[in-house]
Amino acid sequence: MLGKGGKRKFDEHEDGLEGKVVSPTDGPSKVSYTLQRQTIFNISLMKLYNHRPLTEPSLQKTVLINNMLRRIQEELKQEGSLRPVFVTASQPADPLSDNFREAQPAFSHLASQPLLPTDFVSTTPLESCLTPASLLEDDTFCTSPTVQHDGPTKPPPPALQTVKDSFSSALDEIEELCPAPTSAEAVAAETAADDSKDHPSESNVQKPEGFPESRTAESKLMDSLPGNFEITTSTGFLTDLTLDDILFADIDTSMYDFDPCTSATGAASKMAPVSADELLKTLAPYSSQPVTPNQPFKMDLTELDHIMEVLVGS
Amino acid sequence: FLGAGGGNDIQWCFSQVKGAVDDDVAEADIISTVEFNHSGELLATGDKGGRVVIFQQEQENKTQSHSRGEYNVYSTFQSHEPEFDYLKSLEIEEKINKIRWLPQKNAAQFLLSTNDKTIKLWKISERDKRPEGYNLKEEDGRYRDPTTVTTLRVPVFRPMDLMVEASPRRIFANAHTYHINSISINSDYETYLSADDLRINLWHLEITDRSFNIVDIKPANMEELTEVITAAEFHPNSCNTFVYSSSKGTIRLCDMRASALCDRHSKLFEEPEDPSNRSFFSEIISSISDVKFSHSGRYMMTRDYLSVKIWDLNMENRPVETYQVHEYLRSKLCSLYENDCIFDKFECCWNGSDRQRYFLPSPPCSIVMTGSYNNFFRMFDRNTKRDITLEASRENNKPRTVLKPRKVCASGKRKKDEISVDSLDFNKKILHTAWHPKENIIAVATTNNLYIFQDKMN
Repeated sequence: MLGKGGKRKFDEHEDGLEGKVVSPTDGPSKVSYTLQRQTIFNISLMKLYNHRPLTEPSLQKTVLINNMLRRIQEELKQEGSLRPVFVTASQPADPLSDNFREAQPAFSHLASQPLLPTDFVSTTPLESCLTPASLLEDDTFCTSPTVQHDGPTKPPPPALQTVKDSFSSALDEIEELCPAPTSAEAVAAETAADDSKDHPSESNVQKPEGFPESRTAESKLMDSLPGNFEITTSTGFLTDLTLDDILFADIDTSMYDFDPCTSATGAASKMAPVSADELLKTLAPYSSQPVTPNQPFKMDLTELDHIMEVLVGS
Repeated sequence: FLGAGGGNDIQWCFSQVKGAVDDDVAEADIISTVEFNHSGELLATGDKGGRVVIFQQEQENKTQSHSRGEYNVYSTFQSHEPEFDYLKSLEIEEKINKIRWLPQKNAAQFLLSTNDKTIKLWKISERDKRPEGYNLKEEDGRYRDPTTVTTLRVPVFRPMDLMVEASPRRIFANAHTYHINSISINSDYETYLSADDLRINLWHLEITDRSFNIVDIKPANMEELTEVITAAEFHPNSCNTFVYSSSKGTIRLCDMRASALCDRHSKLFEEPEDPSNRSFFSEIISSISDVKFSHSGRYMMTRDYLSVKIWDLNMENRPVETYQVHEYLRSKLCSLYENDCIFDKFECCWNGSDRQRYFLPSPPCSIVMTGSYNNFFRMFDRNTKRDITLEASRENNKPRTVLKPRKVCASGKRKKDEISVDSLDFNKKILHTAWHPKENIIAVATTNNLYIFQDKMN
């Protein structure tokens, strides 16, 4: 975060956004207000999802950031610059499978252009979509005080996203190591990758660079927010992953079925045995865990376990 | 700001500094709580590594009234260890969040220390004698051959080097799902409360296997959660009354006689928002990080991100006094949000009663103190309405030299000796401060150092 003992200099980028906040109704300053709001929204999302602490995150912080996001969403909604279009965000009984159901439509919208809001139809009311249910889970047991996932770092979905991504990147590397082709996946991945490369601007939750049409931008923003916030994050904020890695999710979800009985897919079974060390080396760069100045980089062992299970395929 | 000199103004001088000198801060050494005991003779600190260090004030030299006794290490012990929650695959930090002393009842001292999940009652006792002259054992503990025992003697206590022992007497565990932020001992000295983000529990000091839940703000559907508990404290005199503060800037006063579960407050203290200061960050900066009753219990003080507020318990709709700690940060809130500084939890404290040594004593609870960034800390005199900014820094470490007041220049031309807002070091934050209950001695914790300042004695 901040250097040790170093005096903090304010970002020049930030300077333009500081100062008294203007009300959204001021004509000429509406753009800067929108810009500030956009920035704060992005920062808030990053805070919730980019952080993988080893200890439980502060519930107070999570709640405050969540409230911030909700407030901004309410404002956007009231400004009427979006239509309530979302991917259906039904509460997942099985968080794993639901992520993937949602992953496909969310990603396919990146590949197609132009973005038509009417492509998606929402059957769920706006309020439930706005609430990032994945952030704050219920106690699953009343008596046991320890079962509680607070905040966005509950292990299954984010770990899954990272696992998918690091796995698919690792898959890439492993394929390079051994000559056995996983042809169907590779071809499909390439075509999808090509599509996405043609439309990098579809990643609409990156840093704001001027909004010539704020309305379109905001509607894009809202469209990329299905009830599951993780999708948005993985497209914009895991900056050490390329879009290619994420798009593998589109291809063959059976690869990611962690049930040891059914994971014997073509791809997995064709792979040459890879030692754990090699795997660690390939995985290290793809971990989305940011290195904080005070803490050494640590590999998430649960991720590794998952990956190893799949690779072993039995 | 408060100028040097003039009437009863306290002139603060450096006295001591404890902790490592080098700039490279070991994470475990980060001080997380500071607390004087009821007499002020002992000063306890807790750190991120789960250790408690207790300093003891030397007995003053009666003939030499130039300086108050120095504080030296009295006892060090490991209070909490890191734990692992296997169910959630997350570590439980050993960081000591709060220490609270019990009033002394006998030769031993007792304190409560807590991390995120577990509260422990520690007994700190002195041993300066040991028994010698056993019949069946040698001095080193080996057993004597019984056949060599020809006479009997009575063992006697002989003096030995002072040994201070800390032993855990009670462990209050498994009562908090969320992170404990406060503990507060009741005026009955038999019970205490512990508060986490969503619940407050009432304990009896003798009973560890159960506690009573007295506040529960957890919603049935966690998606509806918008407010958490940030601090709680018992009233200093009414053993049935306590307050808790929230992340939305409200304080609720509850009476345990009203019902078993104090979900409905007796009083709600909340100041309406100032529309001219509204921003995206209004809610976050209104979140209360500390609440402290005055000694009489008539007033309470709260700390939010930018200010300290004094509330009269008889008036719920607004505070009676508000002091701006670092208003110049208001225009920097977006950056402070980005670097997480906006979530820093500053504490605040009242002055104690100054012993009637000087001809102009400060009445108790007439001065409030709190920390800021750049290792600055602030004091506000409620009577004179003057305030002062001081710095805790090793550069000022000449004992008996009065600390120079500091000033931050918000904008425009910076005068000599002023510091501009952009030059402030946000890594150097003073979150924890404590005031001796009886004398003008203050303990100020920087990241990993503890500074002790005293007023200049004339």
